[in-house]
Amino acid sequence: MPRNRAGQAPALRSVVTLLLMLVCAGPAVAHHVGAYTPRDNEVSANFKQIKFSVQAGKFDVARRLFDEGALRRELQKQAATLPPGLEASIRGALDARDARTAEAGLMVFFAALVRSLALEADRQLGESSVPAGARVAGGGKMLEAIWRYYNLVDFAVSQRDPKAATAVRLAFEEAEGYVKAPAPSPERMRPPLVQIARVLAGVIEASSPSARRDS
Amino acid sequence: MIEPTWRLPPIPVLLVGVVLIACAELGGGAMAQFKLELARWARGTMLARPEVHGLVGVRDVDEQILDEALVKLDGGLRLFHLHAEGMGTIIIVTAMVATSLVGRSALRRTIVALIMVGGAGYPLGYLLWSGLIPFHGIARSKRLAEWLVWIPFGSAAIVAMWLLAGALAAQWLGGRRSGDAA
Repeated sequence: MPRNRAGQAPALRSVVTLLLMLVCAGPAVAHHVGAYTPRDNEVSANFKQIKFSVQAGKFDVARRLFDEGALRRELQKQAATLPPGLEASIRGALDARDARTAEAGLMVFFAALVRSLALEADRQLGESSVPAGARVAGGGKMLEAIWRYYNLVDFAVSQRDPKAATAVRLAFEEAEGYVKAPAPSPERMRPPLVQIARVLAGVIEASSPSARRDS
Repeated sequence: MIEPTWRLPPIPVLLVGVVLIACAELGGGAMAQFKLELARWARGTMLARPEVHGLVGVRDVDEQILDEALVKLDGGLRLFHLHAEGMGTIIIVTAMVATSLVGRSALRRTIVALIMVGGAGYPLGYLLWSGLIPFHGIARSKRLAEWLVWIPFGSAAIVAMWLLAGALAAQWLGGRRSGDAA
């Protein structure tokens, strides 16, 4: 009997070593690789500065931030795709200490940015020369950018047009669902993106300076 | 019977630990000094490989993708700095404990070899990950670093630590038993 026990010892040791290796396999797969939180770009950061200044009633500060900031530069760059007189309308509202009109102008600007992104995403998703997986991955990145901008003005849109805000959110969620689907289907992502662009075109139309003047 | 004194581990093992700490310090300094150049190089390399990084040609989208890759690259360098400092110290301490307290020479040599190889190799995975990000993207670089470095070398270090823990526990229990018998 003692001989048997002595013979079992190396086998037991091997089993313990093997178990040790298996226990180690789990932790060895996990590594610290850090986390990434998307940051504001200079346009969204400038928007927040202006918005908070307006909310605090510091219109002179908001005006300076608008005049010198990245938002106005981007607004001028995108002038061709924006309602005419948008820049003048925002500046005039800040001078007149009219928070609601200033907010509407900024909302129109971001709605226009989102609309352009949605149309560009739709165009890229339709490029049949690109593999479906890559198109969906690109579409997912575009959706992230769309949400980053839309999220800034979602409250303003929902105050003015709750149906439009709901429609945008539903279309966004639908498109996002196709990004997460197991089989990539870029064609199915396109209708919700077109819907986002169409709804926001209506919001822009209704809230643009010319529409406000006519009403 | 083990003498109750601390013993020096083999000099090559100490050298590996000290060189690793020196590399960590060098890496930390270089990272701070060449931060801008590194970011510029990485950005240029990534822009030359739009398909790898999923760049779509829209600034609002691409800037975020590039920013994430640059943050991860910088994070990888920081983690190399931290892990190399830590693992250098762990190599020295573990090898010293094993050399002083593990009686069986085969087990002692195994523990020292595993902690030296695993400890020195593991932090290099972060350097590799950072270096590969501009060429292969975040996810693929992580997979490469994992299978080439983190898993094999990390496992070696973990096994060494558990072997040492087991050896010390066995020795302690054996000591208690012989004390009781006496």
